[in-house]
Amino acid sequence: MIHTIARILLVAVMVLLLSSCSDQLNLENATTPLVLGMDLDKNEKFHFYLTAPVFSNRIKKKSVEMTGTAKTLRQSRSEQDAQTAGSTQGRNYQVILLGRRMLNYEGWFQMLDVIYRDARNTITDRVIVVDGSVPEMLYLNPPDQPMLPILLRGIVDSSSSHSETVSTTAHELHRQFSDKGITPYFSQVKIIGGKVRIRGTALVSKAGLYRGSLDAQETVLLRILQKNASPGLSLSYQLPQEPKKSPFATNTISFTAGKIKTKIKTGFENNRFKYDIKVSLVVGLSEHLFPFDVYHDSKQLEDIISKQVTAQFNTLIAKFQNFKVDPIGLGIYARAHEYKAFKKVEDDWGEVLSQADITVSTKVTVSSMGPVK
Amino acid sequence: MKSYVGKQITLFQFISIISGSQVSVAVLNLPRKLSEAADTDGWIALIIGWALSLIAGLAIVGVMKYYPNGTLFDLLSEYMGRWAGVLAAMLFALYFFYLMYDGLVRTILVTKTWLLPTTQSFVLMPLLLIPAYAIVRHGLRNVARYAELVIWLSLWIPFVYLFTLKHAHWLYLLPILKGGWVPVLTAVKSTIYPMLGMVEIFVLYPHLKYKQYAAKGIVIANSITMLLYLFVTIICYVYYSPEESHLFNDPVISVLKSIEFKFIERIEVPFISYYLFIFSLIWIPTMYLISFCTAWMFKQESIVVPLRLLIVLLVIGTYFYFPTYNVSTYLGGKLTLIGLTMEYIFPICLLGYLWLYKLWKKERSNP
Repeated sequence: MIHTIARILLVAVMVLLLSSCSDQLNLENATTPLVLGMDLDKNEKFHFYLTAPVFSNRIKKKSVEMTGTAKTLRQSRSEQDAQTAGSTQGRNYQVILLGRRMLNYEGWFQMLDVIYRDARNTITDRVIVVDGSVPEMLYLNPPDQPMLPILLRGIVDSSSSHSETVSTTAHELHRQFSDKGITPYFSQVKIIGGKVRIRGTALVSKAGLYRGSLDAQETVLLRILQKNASPGLSLSYQLPQEPKKSPFATNTISFTAGKIKTKIKTGFENNRFKYDIKVSLVVGLSEHLFPFDVYHDSKQLEDIISKQVTAQFNTLIAKFQNFKVDPIGLGIYARAHEYKAFKKVEDDWGEVLSQADITVSTKVTVSSMGPVK
Repeated sequence: MKSYVGKQITLFQFISIISGSQVSVAVLNLPRKLSEAADTDGWIALIIGWALSLIAGLAIVGVMKYYPNGTLFDLLSEYMGRWAGVLAAMLFALYFFYLMYDGLVRTILVTKTWLLPTTQSFVLMPLLLIPAYAIVRHGLRNVARYAELVIWLSLWIPFVYLFTLKHAHWLYLLPILKGGWVPVLTAVKSTIYPMLGMVEIFVLYPHLKYKQYAAKGIVIANSITMLLYLFVTIICYVYYSPEESHLFNDPVISVLKSIEFKFIERIEVPFISYYLFIFSLIWIPTMYLISFCTAWMFKQESIVVPLRLLIVLLVIGTYFYFPTYNVSTYLGGKLTLIGLTMEYIFPICLLGYLWLYKLWKKERSNP
């Protein structure tokens, strides 16, 4: 008897507990925005933008855009719900777009707090800066290109796998902002001729202010310095000493790096940080448009290439020092090896680094010339 | 004296129970706690904490060697009289209750943050207690088997954490001892709470099949726990920048968010659901121990009545009051001091007392 009562009680309790399924949501009732855009308008007012895919055969356009003004992202929730049929679930953005105009002001990073604080949000969304205005990109909808979220994520992922841009996720952005030894950087897109295109990398200061951009090849070099370059990256140089038959750039040489090694030595002397960076690349030639006897004169060719690469590394570093940014994360090396000196200047690292003494030397080894002699 | 035939547990089950109750919920915020005190040198404190816990653990086993066929309470009754046994049983029942309640509260708070934000705590509490009751009711052997099973089932988890090494920055660990030894020694305080659970030996010891291996067992259990903590802590430190590592409440979960698979987004969701097994290793053994202590006080063999009372108390209590995150942190903080007394100081003092007592008795018998 007691056992029966106990069992009935148990079943009753179990049934009652089904109430915890109350926060379920049917897929039909959900709108899932995949892109979150943020920008300031001409009057410096904060706008948010979203695009969500539409699953219906009757509707020709495959996505729906939402926009509005709000004080903060979370506050914009009601505005979002007011514009769509379903309940808006801002939980798995693929891409977060930032307008360039936002980067003229400090404090935009704090606006992203909800992404980190609401545990149900993903933090692997790619953060991308739009060189131009966000709404223009969002309402572009070119008929011959896939949906914007897929397109953006696709081009960032594929270009960054060739090291031609960086793939900064929301989490990575958080690290770059909080780590005092590095300044943030993210990939940049622009509309050129009605098409979305990657435009290298944008660099910002610790406070989030826009400082400058890198093109594709400079980004490759940045990734090499970050020890973050994947083998298979490709570089091209035009050698001034070779004849050029206009309009063709016949003085070009291109190569693919197989083995990449970066060594960074840190020092602190006379109140200045000192970096000695050694890069060694083992490359395979992929094209040289001018005649050259690689078999006999490979040493000479290696010297020529090394010189070109070193020169570009030096320009790049000068650029960083000029912008007072540190996307390489040299401050992390400073902290690891010269802790006391770094601790004193960590809050002003960009400025201190611009005074630092950085030398880069490159060693290029040509390992193969391809099937053509 | 009671008989323990048919209720014996193996050495591995013994290790599983001890390690399981140490790790359970404590692992979640350990890297943060350590880094709050010692920055990225926190892992050194773990090794010191491990050495301390070994001393305490061996002292506990040393105490039990004086009375191998009974629990601590039988021992105290034998040496000091029954009042001491009852007093100890009461204290330990309260202590185990504290451990269990802390574990349950943490689990529910974590579940609410990450999985079911709109579900009420008093709904989650019975949900956790129903399976616990089903296991504990059948006695220690089932509890031990459950602990062993969970340990085997969880062996794959560390491998998933290796995925996060893709984003590792090993330079964050340098320089070692950046602030000198003082912050590291301060961080040792935070290693006490995650090592708590060793006193379970006081009750488990007579159940052990091969008592000669008990000392070995506690050394292995503490070492497994320490290695796991070390692994997780270092993963968190190379993943988060030093400035970030005290920003995340439960870094052990947050770390998982960066793992990307093609077929699943938000990988931490199935993980936390799975972690409930590991979390349960604190409250399932302690529920048994609370019931055991209570039953011992009333000279009862069966633990079912106190167990039912305990569950009813928890369910009804949760309906009226449930701690917030801050209260839970406060409770956990207090546990450091209480645990230090119960698991480190008390066994060592008791061992000293027993040793002196024996010495004194020997001198009296052959002057």
